[in-house]
Amino acid sequence: MIPPIDASMLVHIIEIVIGGLLVGIGVHFVPVGGAPAAMAQATGVGTGTVQLAAGSGLTGLLSAGLMMNYTDSIFLVVISGAVGAMIMIDATMIVGNWVYIYGVGAPLASAKANYDPITKDSQAPYVAPGTVGQGIPTVCFVSGTIGGLLGGAGGSLIYYVLLKINGDPGLSAFFAIGIFVVNAVIASYNIQGTIEGFHDPKFKRVPRAFQVCLVASLIIAIFAVLISGGH
Amino acid sequence: MSVAAGGGAAKIDKTKLMMYGLGGGVLGIYLAHVLNEVTGTTYFSFLAGLGVIAAVVMGADATRRVCSYGIGTGVPSIGLMAMGMGLVAAMFGLSIGGVAGPIIGIAVSMGFGYFVGLLTNRIIKMNIPVMEETLMTLGGAGAIVLIGLGVMVSGVIDYRTIIGNVIDTGYIAIIFIAGSLAILHPFNANLGPDETQDRTLIHAVSAGALAMFATGLASLETIGSEGIISMIVAAIVWLVFFRRFFELVKRDSAGVKGTGLLPEGGL
Repeated sequence: MIPPIDASMLVHIIEIVIGGLLVGIGVHFVPVGGAPAAMAQATGVGTGTVQLAAGSGLTGLLSAGLMMNYTDSIFLVVISGAVGAMIMIDATMIVGNWVYIYGVGAPLASAKANYDPITKDSQAPYVAPGTVGQGIPTVCFVSGTIGGLLGGAGGSLIYYVLLKINGDPGLSAFFAIGIFVVNAVIASYNIQGTIEGFHDPKFKRVPRAFQVCLVASLIIAIFAVLISGGH
Repeated sequence: MSVAAGGGAAKIDKTKLMMYGLGGGVLGIYLAHVLNEVTGTTYFSFLAGLGVIAAVVMGADATRRVCSYGIGTGVPSIGLMAMGMGLVAAMFGLSIGGVAGPIIGIAVSMGFGYFVGLLTNRIIKMNIPVMEETLMTLGGAGAIVLIGLGVMVSGVIDYRTIIGNVIDTGYIAIIFIAGSLAILHPFNANLGPDETQDRTLIHAVSAGALAMFATGLASLETIGSEGIISMIVAAIVWLVFFRRFFELVKRDSAGVKGTGLLPEGGL
């Protein structure tokens, strides 16, 4: 049964699109190194974009869902989701760094910048020959935290809006995951699987992902707002 | 075709696989629904699972074709994306379409996949010639897998029943991850210069059977002991096809030898 179309639906569509865009842009901030990073031969966390995005996004959804038990305020829910995702991605990066420093014995270094834009520390002398950096240096860590903020905020915004429409937490959460995954994969195609953070030259490709995520989220949003809770 | 990760040429044509996948998937879902409704039981839910296996083979072949180009993000990303697209489209179809829901969901998912493929090629400039067509196939496979496994758990094509039995119980999580693994794992496990299409697809059947088994386990709680039929059928399919997969592994490998365990102090 298609619900009646009204102006609030338009607002919901716009909110879902904003959520999708936040996810798509957020992925560009997260330092993803893929398989080379898992062998300490590239900067970033040693796994794929989608796994990282899914991990932080799901934690964001959990904390957003928890907050929804106590309040109806969209700001508190979105902030709670963002903080949850930031904690998750930060925990991943700091434990990863412990492994790189104490386990592998590699210095943290970025291969994309000669000087860390935040600490001004020299990077190039510490990059081992034949690799493209190791671990998660300060600039990547800060960038990853921003990525968690954007991704978590986007995911919980989508969840909040959907829950308002259909009133089913399970359906809304999995819808949010579906929209989240599509935008995260589009963004990871844009960065071709690896990126160091906002100082990486690949970061300049954000506008391309912005366009694709905008259109893709818009289409999904139109379908998503038409779905009723079935209760 | 530039082959980065995939191996030999395809022995089975993609159009044929797509026909079998879409046809088998839709047929399985509707047969399960109609037979369950007519007989007033849930004994036939396993047919939806067999439809899912057909769709998984179609999806695994699409994964194989697109990932042969080296998409740079790892094979899992595309399987998860297929399920993401499939989830939204499947629930939309079931929500507005009633019994016609699966068809609407599959069509919407395929259209969306084609569109995303078009955008990634045109704007992100992935320049993978099969992107549109494979994402379309993957979207269809994702939708069939979700609807089919959902019908296995709920017994009928009915939005309210599916919401109550699949979503609110949380079984959607099992369906989501087991379904996407069935689509992405076969090529992820077999890729390499010696990859052959028949081995990957046989592996896809056994991976699909495992997803069916897990869902059958979940359906014990929703449709009752009839769910055991799904589990038995899935176990038989898995046994048969995993044996065939192992035979193909032996065929394609230079040699298979048992080395025994490491000797004492061998580390």
